[in-house]
Amino acid sequence: MKFKGGYNILLKGRPASTVKAMPEPKSLYLPLYSERFTFTEIRVKDGQEVSGGDILATDPDNHAVPLLAPRAGTVHLKTVENHIVLEDVAQLEEHADIPKKELLHIEQEMGAAGIKRYKLLSLGAWQFFYDAFTGALPDPLGTPQAVIVSTLSIEPFLTRGDVQLHKRLLNFTRGLEHLQSLLEYQPIYLVMPNISSEFANLIRNQIRGYASVKMLEIPLKYPYEHFALLARRLNLKPGGGPVWSVRTEGVLAVDRALTLTKPCTVRIVSIGGIGVNLPTHMKVMPGYPIQKIKENYIFEPAARVINGGILTGRILEADTLGVDTECRGITILRELEEREFLGFTRPGWSRHSYANCYLSSLRKKFEENYTTGVRGELRPCISCNFCEEVCPAGIMPYLIHKYLYADLIEEVEQARVDLCVECGLCSYVCPSKIDLRTQFIEAKALIAKEKEEIRQEQLRQEELQKQQEEARKLSEEKAQ
Amino acid sequence: MKWLLKIIDATRPAFEEGGKLQIFHPVFEALEHVFFAPSTRTIGAPHIRDPLDVKRVMSMVIISAMPCVLAALYFFGLRFIAMIVVTYAAGLAVEATFSIVRKESINEGFFVTGILFPLILPPNLPLWMVALGVAFGVFIGKELFGGTGRNIFNPALVGRCFLSLAYPKTMAASWVEPSHELTGGLLTWVSPSLDAVSGATPLAMAKRAVDPEMGSIAHQLMGSVSGSAGETSAILIIFCGTFLLFTRVASWRTVVSMLGSFVILTAALIIGGAVDYPISGVFGPVIWHLFAGGLLFGAFYMATDPVTSPTTNAGKWFYGITIGSTTVLIRNFTGYVEGVTFAILLGNIVAPILDEIVVGIRIRRLRNEG
Repeated sequence: MKFKGGYNILLKGRPASTVKAMPEPKSLYLPLYSERFTFTEIRVKDGQEVSGGDILATDPDNHAVPLLAPRAGTVHLKTVENHIVLEDVAQLEEHADIPKKELLHIEQEMGAAGIKRYKLLSLGAWQFFYDAFTGALPDPLGTPQAVIVSTLSIEPFLTRGDVQLHKRLLNFTRGLEHLQSLLEYQPIYLVMPNISSEFANLIRNQIRGYASVKMLEIPLKYPYEHFALLARRLNLKPGGGPVWSVRTEGVLAVDRALTLTKPCTVRIVSIGGIGVNLPTHMKVMPGYPIQKIKENYIFEPAARVINGGILTGRILEADTLGVDTECRGITILRELEEREFLGFTRPGWSRHSYANCYLSSLRKKFEENYTTGVRGELRPCISCNFCEEVCPAGIMPYLIHKYLYADLIEEVEQARVDLCVECGLCSYVCPSKIDLRTQFIEAKALIAKEKEEIRQEQLRQEELQKQQEEARKLSEEKAQ
Repeated sequence: MKWLLKIIDATRPAFEEGGKLQIFHPVFEALEHVFFAPSTRTIGAPHIRDPLDVKRVMSMVIISAMPCVLAALYFFGLRFIAMIVVTYAAGLAVEATFSIVRKESINEGFFVTGILFPLILPPNLPLWMVALGVAFGVFIGKELFGGTGRNIFNPALVGRCFLSLAYPKTMAASWVEPSHELTGGLLTWVSPSLDAVSGATPLAMAKRAVDPEMGSIAHQLMGSVSGSAGETSAILIIFCGTFLLFTRVASWRTVVSMLGSFVILTAALIIGGAVDYPISGVFGPVIWHLFAGGLLFGAFYMATDPVTSPTTNAGKWFYGITIGSTTVLIRNFTGYVEGVTFAILLGNIVAPILDEIVVGIRIRRLRNEG
């Protein structure tokens, strides 16, 4: 598949490339949920003293991926709902080594390769891995058909790869080598914006002989760095097994876990958008109090705090007190407050549009001051075809919308709603302000649910048949 | 403008549920949203939206049609203003009634119909017929199908088609000679009617072979020929239409394929000797035909209506070709003088079929994907 569609939105408040250290916190508020994980199995007791790297909780649905204590401290389980609170947090980063006994035990059980995977999982590096097709956490003991490593995050505003790679090239290449050691013959694809740059050559020279990495150049256009699109671009099929996909921070975490055997608890998180003074990147650990970040960076009173990017991120609810374990960036956006007078008659020098309906199309590209306003009324689809033009997945959003409107679920499935990567561009460009992304997510969930029901039904019937057959055999035997 | 917002906020309760004027809520809402953008916020991802809305899209069409309106005033007199006013009044009455009955909000689509409809009418048409035509077009062509976004036919063309079938004589008698004075028709109510003998548009003259000159191409370019109010000035339509293509409100695919197929087919007919024109050569008659009648106006403003044209890009190409070639056939081989209206309506009929075919092919391709 060739790349098509895509669109870059220029938003004011792009984070600078510097990484700022945040002041040490006194307490950490670790949310028990993040984008993919819900940590339901608590492994610690109230009031227990833990050291950095200890497992606080695990997610039983996701291969027991752990929630690690970033620092030493005292656990409080019930102070805040859905959070584990660490009080009296130690100032210095400590790490607990995995006990030698345990390592030996695992080596006996799983072999040398198993130990690496165990380390990745229990030291918190595995949570950076995604299955390219489903976006879920892949099985750490499984074998992938390929590995995709992406250095890009184009969506405004997520932590960028170049910021993380700054001065850490050695760690990155070492991480790639570790990744290679987990595989047999499966290829590693390294996705970069420019594969003939000096930087790319540096990586090539460093890993020569240690890892066989194929480089893939993609244009810097949102959302081409999406793993599902990359997998399709590389002609990988879901039938061939999972495709492990990992971003820069994941490779660095692999290096940390396997070279130093240290827990990966510190992340670089971007903070950007309108309403931020000095948009930048900051070094924080999971559980870092949001309130402190707000105090330091946000000056806008009526601001929406988004966990993630502007197009796919989720609103950070007021009852979430800390940065979660999967946070890749915090974006601040001004809430719409004033209603514009005769808005549709304005020439629009300062607003950026996908279509050239504003005079700004005569201007060079610029960063716009967006608010959360929908900027128009909900209308029926006027078949402008903009959604299909921007769709990177090559499906027809307007068609699926019309099928959904008519409740034709089977047709929706045939129109391949499952290929949708939820990038949000169709909702963004729609002049009728139809929220296509949400509709598709709901449709996908509905289809998945129906399929699951059918599967369960089949299983039940098979079971029934088996039982009947057994009963028949038994009665035949008795008769004999 | 705080005072206006205050007035709106103060009157809102009367139109909301339980208020005295509850049934007029769509009208109130429409008026409110003309003045003030809605205050709705995004509830989830994506948290920002493109500033383009349907109001803006529609106002782009109206802006681009403005030069044609001015040209109509210049060539055919101030009566044209009355035609616009009547169109809006009659059409809005139908639109608002339906919105109130359906309890939906009034859509902006009508404002485009309202400006385009008088532009495709003979300049001296009785005003009651203008009202009847637009009411018929909006009622049958749009509202019965479910309103904006769901109509199959271009409402303006349905209205015009109805008028030319129901009142052919009045329609034919309503052409006027464009003003040739420097001040144009700006000082007159309406230009003098054409007499029946030499009467009517260049296309009609060509059909009856009355005038071997058939009106010169220079006149067609400027617009000082007889014809529907807004369709006479080729140069203005091309200029404004290009603006519409630039804003991407109209699709260039439709326009290019429609005009391209028209030119190619006409040239082929002339070279093949199937049709005979008093003008010698191939290029001359083709250009003359291209500029004559409502072809350009239809191509830029009518055929490109996103709702009634196919959605898929491939469909748009075939749609344009259908319209372009049908126009040639109607103009040259039937008793009708002008074929654009019928050709576009025919195109509207085939548009869903074309879409169906293209979508079918694409879905078959998608099946093998991933």
